[in-house]
Amino acid sequence: MSKARVELGNIAVRYGKNAVLRDVSLAIEPGEFFALLGPSGSGKSTLLRLIAGFVQAHSGRLLIAGAEVSGVPPWERNVGMVFQNYALWPHMTVRENVAFGLEERRMPASVVAQKVRAALDLVNLAEYAERRPSQLSGGQQQRVALARTIAVEPKVLLLDEPLSNLDAKLRIRMREELRALQRKLGITTIFVTHDQEEAMTTADRIAVMDQGVIQQVGTAMEIFDDPANRFVANFVGSINLLTADSALARELRLSELAARAGDADIVIRPHTIAVARVPGDAGRIWLAGSVVDREFLGAFVRYTVKVGEQQLVAEEPHRIGRESHRPGDAVHVGIDPEQARLLREAGG
Amino acid sequence: MRGATPGQLAVGLLIAAFLLAFLAVPIATVIYVAFTEPGGGFTLSHFESFFHLALMRESFWNSLYVAAASVVFATLIAVPLAYFTVRFRFRGALIIQTLGVLPLIMPPFVGAVAMQLIFGRSGSVNLLLGDWFGISLPIMQGLNGVIFVEALHYFPFILMNLVVAMGNIDASMEESAQNLGASGWRLFRRIVFPLAMPGYVAGASLVFVKVFDDLGTPLVLNVTNMLAPQAYLRITSMGIEDPIGYVISVLMIGFSLFALWASALALRGRDYATLQRGGSSLAARALKPWQAALAYGWIGLVLLLVLSPHLGILLLSLGTVWSFSVVPDGFTLQHYATVFQDSPRMIGNTLLYCGLAALIDVVLATAIAYLILRTRLPLRRTLDFTASAALAIPGVVLAIGYLRTFRGVEIPFSGELVTASWLLIVIAYSIRRLPYALRSCMAALQQLHVSLEEAAESLGAGKRRTIRRIVVPLMMGGILAGFVTSFMTAAVELSATIMLTTSQNLAPMSYGIYLYMQSAAGRGPGAALGVLAVAIVALGTYLSHRFMRSRAVDLDRQL
Repeated sequence: MSKARVELGNIAVRYGKNAVLRDVSLAIEPGEFFALLGPSGSGKSTLLRLIAGFVQAHSGRLLIAGAEVSGVPPWERNVGMVFQNYALWPHMTVRENVAFGLEERRMPASVVAQKVRAALDLVNLAEYAERRPSQLSGGQQQRVALARTIAVEPKVLLLDEPLSNLDAKLRIRMREELRALQRKLGITTIFVTHDQEEAMTTADRIAVMDQGVIQQVGTAMEIFDDPANRFVANFVGSINLLTADSALARELRLSELAARAGDADIVIRPHTIAVARVPGDAGRIWLAGSVVDREFLGAFVRYTVKVGEQQLVAEEPHRIGRESHRPGDAVHVGIDPEQARLLREAGG
Repeated sequence: MRGATPGQLAVGLLIAAFLLAFLAVPIATVIYVAFTEPGGGFTLSHFESFFHLALMRESFWNSLYVAAASVVFATLIAVPLAYFTVRFRFRGALIIQTLGVLPLIMPPFVGAVAMQLIFGRSGSVNLLLGDWFGISLPIMQGLNGVIFVEALHYFPFILMNLVVAMGNIDASMEESAQNLGASGWRLFRRIVFPLAMPGYVAGASLVFVKVFDDLGTPLVLNVTNMLAPQAYLRITSMGIEDPIGYVISVLMIGFSLFALWASALALRGRDYATLQRGGSSLAARALKPWQAALAYGWIGLVLLLVLSPHLGILLLSLGTVWSFSVVPDGFTLQHYATVFQDSPRMIGNTLLYCGLAALIDVVLATAIAYLILRTRLPLRRTLDFTASAALAIPGVVLAIGYLRTFRGVEIPFSGELVTASWLLIVIAYSIRRLPYALRSCMAALQQLHVSLEEAAESLGAGKRRTIRRIVVPLMMGGILAGFVTSFMTAAVELSATIMLTTSQNLAPMSYGIYLYMQSAAGRGPGAALGVLAVAIVALGTYLSHRFMRSRAVDLDRQL
């Protein structure tokens, strides 16, 4: 299967006066598994539909495998898209659904039959060929939709919220299956999701989008560890945010650093903050506070601790028998300044 | 909700008794007679003699041919219009919506005479064609005329159903096909039309049944070698004892049921509810210039054809003499004066009969809808089925059933024969239009969330008070729509009317129009009466639309 590079240059899309995509530039490498991550209304689905050809850009370039495709209608792009609701045609059997794209390409019947079988084998649904979509479970429908798209050997595979219609357990299994399939085929794949965990676990690289603008592009770890702005920091994982001139920042000896960086905000991830009755290891700066709230989440306990005027959220790993603090308890929070990050822009 | 209360049971029994007496028993009688020897005992000999008569065989095939051909032509007209409406963003959509109500406000038999004057051998169109090109088109000759008139009148049933069905297709259904390489005609043929099939089949089977059952149009066009006219002629000329009329009736019921059954079969077990939650329907595109020209051209042509009977009737009602000329020789209001002089009674009769019938319909329909959707009354589904089954019973057949069943029966205390009473016309109307009223009442009640009633009950209102103060007021839109539909369609009903009307004094307008149209001299007044009927029906439609819209806005604001 071909591996195509997808390149977007200064793409803008407006619906009336409403700017949906603003100056979007992005390069997706051949064979890459790429995620578009953002909240609803961020423009991520529009971007996907733009690549598929269902949305036209007002300006900008869109290159697939080096060729400009902006004026090419969807049916001539050879870009495969799996729809959020799968869009399986209820009047056709599984076999007919999968054969559709091949027939539209005027392939001889014998080739069609063989490719349909191969595609269904690939998603382990060979024995369901004569069923109708309504007779399949959600996960099976998803796989049929995938087989239908892969059968035509598209240059690029687009997945629109591929896992959102599945229940939690199935979602994790399909996530692994998708990843394995993508590795096997090596096809350039772009998928849209609003679920940060999904994006982080599946994709090679992620573009975080908000308000029609790409906020940051990078691997999951890069985005999590070094968020480009407040929106990314907030959307991917949760954060504690301190201003440069806050008392807490001074106590952590981060004020000066932040001020020098142009009044940058300071971001500290909750899981890097330790909570203990008495100060612990010397690598951290320990500050006294009192517990305001406690949420038990199984793997960890989330404390809201009041330190001076500031409330900090801290996440302590949970083990059986481990000491737990109650609201009102006096505690110390331990912060490693090395784990703090500065955010230069006040974005989001 | 366990079992049914005595009150619900009593209402259910009353409705069942009414349906039994005026639908089930008359139809069973017709079928019984068709299969019974003069002395009693089962026989197929009546059917044998039916198929031995050349005229009957011919009528049989003609009816099938006309119904099928009408469906084909109606399809050819309706499918492009439906496609334009759904696919393109343009103003013509409003015109197309308007086309949808035209057959409701004027039945084909009223326009048929006018169509002959316009499209007949010596009609306007052929006179012009003859003058210009020296040719003549046999549009109105024999069966062609029936097909032409019926297709033009009934295509909106396909159009409206198809538009709704296509509007319910999720955009992703189409986009995924485009994504896989389909476009244009192939996209329509392989994805869009198959997905809209339920709507098409529903519309097409309705057209088939309507055309197959129609008595007025062939009679007015002087085509008698079809089943419905033959049933009418046999019974009126040979008498109520003649078995052939009953054989024809059984065949007509059979074909109606067959068409409805086939449409149900075609859709069985297919999950066609394709519009997803939160999904959008097919994207409407802007028209390219050549597409706009094509679309407007087609709409214009169809509109011209569809309006021609209306226009023709208007001209006919205002014209002095219209024969062998493109338009009438002169214009006059004389025909209207004649109508008001001769037959004000007919107008009154129509208002009385149809008003009463529509009232019976909405009362029955509201009660049935409530029993079906809100109670555990035993056999409530059977009630629904029986009431809806009237759809499959041609008017001629119902009338024959009445004449036979109530033969010699007198109305208690008055000594008047049931078959001679106008009450029987009212009952025939109400039975025939009950399915329409039932559909709209059911829909209205279905949209009403049970919690609204439960809230009233928990605040202390009993079942009866809840129905009166909550259910009926909130259903009022649907009830009114049911009333108007029943009233309008009854006002232009001819096939049962023509058989149950026993004297001029008791005749409604539809019968009057038919009588006038029998003679060349009566055409003018007949057309005038037709215009009046259309005006009454159109006014009713307009008022109900306005009322419905203001109500819909009210409800939106409240909910």
